[in-house]
Amino acid sequence: MDFDLSEQQKMLKAMAGDFMSRECSKARVRQLEKDSKGYDPVVWDKMVELGWQGLILPEKYGGMGADFLDLVVLMEEMGRNILPGPFFSTIGECAIPLMTFGRDSQKADYLPLIASGKNIWSLAVLEHSGRFDVGEIACCANSDGKGYIINGEKWFSQYAHVADRLLVICCTGRQGEGITAFLIDAKKKGIKIENIPTVAGEGQCRIRFKNVRASSNDILGKRGQGWKVVDYLAQRALVLKCAEVCGACQAVLNMTQAYAKDRVQFDKPIGSFMSIQHKLVDMLTAVEGLQYLVYQAAWLISAGQKADIAVAMAKAKANEVYQRVCIDAVRIHGAIDFTMDHDLGWYFRRIKDAEFTLGDTDFMLERIAGGIGL
Amino acid sequence: MDEASYWDIPGMTMGVSGVGWVGQSLMLFGSEEQKKKYIPLIASGEPDGVWCTAYSEPNAGSDFANIQTRAVRTDSEYILNGQKIWTSCAHRARWCWLAARTDTNVAKKQHGISLLILDMKSPGITIKPIENFAGVHIFNELFFDNVKVPVANLVGIENRGWYHLMQSLAFERHSMAPQFYGGARRIHEYLVKYVRDNRYKGKPMSEDSIIRHKLAERALELETLKMFAYEITWKISKGIIPVYEAARNKAYCDLVMERLAITGTEILGIYSQVDALSKWARLMGIITRMYMMFPGNSIAAGTDEIQKNIVGQFKLGLPRPY
Repeated sequence: MDFDLSEQQKMLKAMAGDFMSRECSKARVRQLEKDSKGYDPVVWDKMVELGWQGLILPEKYGGMGADFLDLVVLMEEMGRNILPGPFFSTIGECAIPLMTFGRDSQKADYLPLIASGKNIWSLAVLEHSGRFDVGEIACCANSDGKGYIINGEKWFSQYAHVADRLLVICCTGRQGEGITAFLIDAKKKGIKIENIPTVAGEGQCRIRFKNVRASSNDILGKRGQGWKVVDYLAQRALVLKCAEVCGACQAVLNMTQAYAKDRVQFDKPIGSFMSIQHKLVDMLTAVEGLQYLVYQAAWLISAGQKADIAVAMAKAKANEVYQRVCIDAVRIHGAIDFTMDHDLGWYFRRIKDAEFTLGDTDFMLERIAGGIGL
Repeated sequence: MDEASYWDIPGMTMGVSGVGWVGQSLMLFGSEEQKKKYIPLIASGEPDGVWCTAYSEPNAGSDFANIQTRAVRTDSEYILNGQKIWTSCAHRARWCWLAARTDTNVAKKQHGISLLILDMKSPGITIKPIENFAGVHIFNELFFDNVKVPVANLVGIENRGWYHLMQSLAFERHSMAPQFYGGARRIHEYLVKYVRDNRYKGKPMSEDSIIRHKLAERALELETLKMFAYEITWKISKGIIPVYEAARNKAYCDLVMERLAITGTEILGIYSQVDALSKWARLMGIITRMYMMFPGNSIAAGTDEIQKNIVGQFKLGLPRPY
């Protein structure tokens, strides 16, 4: 095990940090929260110039063929600065399963458009209950001999309103059975997409499918094997989400640490009071622990080893640490950060999106319990 | 340390100062004669290689630099007078790694401290046992009445002992995460087995979701501790000197042990109070023993609060609170 980044990863990290502070100021993030698209197409195109959308895609499809760990480093920087947009849904949730389960023709059709930033993708898996569980899948794709007809609803699909394509998880049997993944044109007749207003402007959408036609060519992987696709993408996307959370937690810790050194009360910097100092130390220990668990999970995936328990641990830890760190940061700042003008709110408002992405804490603990022999 | 602790090798925990920090400190700042004399004894595992460590005094606990035990230098030896307390394993040790004041005329109390090797067979030493609240004799009080210590037993530079001690304490704290991780991992495995083997309300306890989640949370904490243990070991092996990591690890160990001990007692239920040596003790009494010992362990080698002060100052750059 190595606790250091490669020289190449350090360069990527530095470059990403520069880019984010230059192109994605907090003022810009503030505007984007009110923006109907929820992301900045100019920044999106500049990211294409840096090769980020294609970072881990194979070179033959216009990508850079980089390692999964490189993408983790990039996501950490995106989380540190908060870069709103469909990068996670397009790359983490859709391009990754396409690379593994896609037929050659599907890969040739879709991956170059992702690498060039021309296509945005959204994963449609959750339904009205909002629970990440195979038994909740009721959106059905019924075969009529000529193809499939999709009917049902999907909830909390990120950036579906600006997506070109959707990865839709349907049941092709009874509810919760015969799960199949479909690649669907988001502009198809019978698809209605509307925004779900949220506290953070993370592009959450509800999608309704009414007699939407799909063919067997649109299936990703095999019919009836769709949950395998979900499980596979979830493991990788979760690590990326955790990396994003990790970057966010570091940013919150750094701003709180700086404030505690600066802010004077009772004629002393408040950081000299043990009640404040020890809280900051607990935050540091939590964030460092999270970082190592995330990198362990990323490393296992990158090395092609069994990673499900390590991923579940990273996500359970991320859920706990993100919330804890933000709450303590608010306590240490006092009233000043409880305003729209302060940056801390940006991080605080994103806690629940991260927490419930692809499985909550109880889901992860249950998976860990299975992993330790219970 | 991890494996030795997992298999519960006797003497790997408190009291074996030699393996944990004396040997490493001597390698770094001991004289050639000291290295030749003591390191092979430590490596041999023989009774003549067992060390105790005497830092704390009645008025020098967390405020370690406040030590008053005096070592007055004559031509060829120091004359030692004073009292130490909480000296683990003094009744078994052949040697003592001792902090004493060699100069009282100093601007800061951290100055004027020296590190000495004390032969526990020297005349003038009185050892008085202290039984801890778990009923175990680990601690002792030590009294020195004109004990003679040869000048050759000075370690490092006279009056600069504080800086050597900080290094020695860092070695002590470095070894904690691997050691506690190994022990806790074993206990966690016992608990997993226990809930699989025992039934309640007509089903194995392992099917109860509250128990599953508690043990999963403890597993997550153990995994975090593992990463900290590996990180510090990796840094040392790369020649990077850890600054705050050992203090962070010590505080995190305390948290892990406390939560594991409490979860363990909740799983054993009312049987968790049964004496560890009783025939009715469950899981050979390991949970009861751990529960009785964790509060004391969290004080040893620096309290949680002292560790957090170290991290706050040396990692986060926050002003000293005192």
